[in-house]
Amino acid sequence: MELQPSILREISDEHNLLPQPARAKYISETDELILEDELQRIKLEGKIDRDKCVTGSVIAIYGAERNDGKFTVEDFCMADLPPQTPRPVLSSDRFVLLASGLGLGSSHADSMLGLQLLIDMVTGQLGDQGEQSGAANISRVLLAGNLLSQSTQDKDASTKPKYLTKKTQAGSVEAIRLLDELLLQLVASLPVDVMPGQYDPTNYTLPQQPLHRCMFPLSSVYPTLQLASNPHIANIDGVRFLGTSGQNVLDIQKYSSMESHLEILEETLRLRHLAPTAPDTLGCFPFYQKDPFILEECPHVYFSGNATTFESKLVKGPDGQEVLLVTIPEFSSTQTACLVNLRTLECEPVSFSAFSANDDEESEMNISH
Amino acid sequence: MDELYLDNIDEFVNDHDKIVTYKWLSLTLGVHVNTAKQMLYHYLDHKRKESSAQLHATYLVSGKFEDNGQTGHKVSVVKEDQLEDFKSKMSLVVSVHVYSVQKALLKDSGPLYSVDYDAVKDNLKNCTKFSAIRCASAVPMSSLELQQARQIHQVPAPEPEHKKPAMNGEANASKPSTKPQKGIMGMFASKAAPKNQDNVKDIKTEQKEDTPVAEAPKSKPAAKANPMMNFFGTQTAKKPDKTEKKEEAAQSSSSAEVQRQSSQPEEKREAPAVQPPKDTKKEARSKSKRVVDSDSEEEKMEKKKRRRIKKPEPDSSDEDVIPDSPQQMKTRELSPSPEKEVEPVSHSPSGNSQKTRKRRRVLKARTFVDDEGCIVTEKCYESESYSETEDDVQATKQASKDPVPAKRPASHKPDEKKSQKKTSANANKGSKQASIMGFFQKK
Repeated sequence: MELQPSILREISDEHNLLPQPARAKYISETDELILEDELQRIKLEGKIDRDKCVTGSVIAIYGAERNDGKFTVEDFCMADLPPQTPRPVLSSDRFVLLASGLGLGSSHADSMLGLQLLIDMVTGQLGDQGEQSGAANISRVLLAGNLLSQSTQDKDASTKPKYLTKKTQAGSVEAIRLLDELLLQLVASLPVDVMPGQYDPTNYTLPQQPLHRCMFPLSSVYPTLQLASNPHIANIDGVRFLGTSGQNVLDIQKYSSMESHLEILEETLRLRHLAPTAPDTLGCFPFYQKDPFILEECPHVYFSGNATTFESKLVKGPDGQEVLLVTIPEFSSTQTACLVNLRTLECEPVSFSAFSANDDEESEMNISH
Repeated sequence: MDELYLDNIDEFVNDHDKIVTYKWLSLTLGVHVNTAKQMLYHYLDHKRKESSAQLHATYLVSGKFEDNGQTGHKVSVVKEDQLEDFKSKMSLVVSVHVYSVQKALLKDSGPLYSVDYDAVKDNLKNCTKFSAIRCASAVPMSSLELQQARQIHQVPAPEPEHKKPAMNGEANASKPSTKPQKGIMGMFASKAAPKNQDNVKDIKTEQKEDTPVAEAPKSKPAAKANPMMNFFGTQTAKKPDKTEKKEEAAQSSSSAEVQRQSSQPEEKREAPAVQPPKDTKKEARSKSKRVVDSDSEEEKMEKKKRRRIKKPEPDSSDEDVIPDSPQQMKTRELSPSPEKEVEPVSHSPSGNSQKTRKRRRVLKARTFVDDEGCIVTEKCYESESYSETEDDVQATKQASKDPVPAKRPASHKPDEKKSQKKTSANANKGSKQASIMGFFQKK
């Protein structure tokens, strides 16, 4: 791909290029699709959409090689859904709340009341008896990444001189303290799984390690707090949840023509690989022997966080697998979280809003389809 | 009684000009949230009927609504005038209740958040005390459970997390590891060999004692298991091993107290011993895991070494070395359970001294007034019962004025350290070179 950022081109003196600006999409017309194995590679053409394929996909193609050395594809297939253990039958409704992109520590704290409403609802303080009894059925909260906002990642310390930044704290310190207090309210009421995201204080490469418990002195005393890695597998009442904080989906979105997070999510499921673009364009630990991102077993709920909108879809596999795909929207911008019903594998968006002086009617930020 | 809360709310709203949200009210008055909501509702009703003051209220509306065929749940805080509007938009209204009452008309919902934030901040520990949902498992763990959880966490952490390039626990340990004193250790290793007969359990107690101390020494317990492994094998035992053995020896003498072991800590200690090597920099070391792990002890040993820096490598019998270890343990242990063990250990030096007690002739100066009325100082050899440990214990006692080391609070720790430094210095000189002691005593 011509537009793909290449460090070699950047530092090459003969080209004398400035660093490439960040783009939304790195696909271009001159891209080529190449099939590669341990020994050789061959260019592909034909009934395969070049812009929809991403580096790292493992596919099987059916066609013939032409004289000029290119392979004409007549059909192709992917690994498709892995085998799945059937999920247990639940007698009563039980819910899991999925939220991501809380965006704490940002300069504009518009979403804080929404967050407080979310916590109040989940802990059973909001609403009347009926709602509270409904909220009592929420058996877990899963926070899928980007708990801190991007503005906490400001690398002021590296650019400014030391005497200016000596006494200033990193933005993430205050944000983590705020997060700890929020988590304390939640963990006192129900189990919480916390996954790190792109802007959270943990390592950059996938798999991201769980946030360290020393950052959560107040809430880590509770056994209900579980600091999870990214990607994360959880088994909640027999229902297998698998998901990431969205970095894999976002990366595929940048390097392919696919726009919808849900479409990309389905694509990764069918490819049986969580993050096919790692380590090519997505940072990842250099695994040598075994690739842990290959989906061995099919989850029941497959999610990715920090999407722009809420989307969900029930995918059925050839062997009777049933997977609920959920793209969790970013809470800081959409004020929406998702509620998954474990009994029926349905997902519904829950949105929170408040009023502000700007508009006469409340800012309804709920988007769903 | 009923009127009381009305007055309270009245006071808050009118006199203090506060924004009274249901949550703030529930935390302030200590009532259930639903009760608080009802209180607010009644108050509003009451005041509206009286129509005395201008009050504004915000409501919470929650319900289902349809959007492109997808049913969603919506929860909103609305102003009073928008209430009906909102309710009509929803397909099904699940709940409506008063969210807050305030005197001024709120343009923005920001203050609502800050009010709740302050209220929750003040009551962080029991913010869910008045909520409607209880969770049985959400009970804060005691510190002991916490430590156990952390140990278990650390132990399996190295194994499954092969993804992690470096492990937390080991990272701590490997950081301060410094120059190996292999030559000296090698010298000591042979001496330590006879001491290998000590139970593995002794090490475990030691480690168990260490565990409650702090997080940083967490690697120490892990590391400590390895000297045990070292004993039974490698030649390149190091100074940490020596100290380890000393402690064992001290422990073994007070084996009665030490013997209360559970297999669990044992397993835990063994497991960290199996941690993969992390310190690849020191090629001088043999490649065995145990050796590398023992390097991690050096961090702990560094601390000890500082205190005993004056003490040259013991080339005399182990028994001379033993007395130091109880003091080391005294400084390092803070929590009550190790204290109990420290106490017997510290007393054990007196028990130890039974082994080491011997009579010897010491040059002492005696001053007396002779018949002419002159004060005469005479140097003479006196035979006295001498025990190095006794000296140390006594010196420590004098220094800290606290004969029971177990009861020493953490604040005395620096004193202890200093006194131990002194005593260890003294002990050094006393045990190894009796003649030098005499030199000092002359003064």
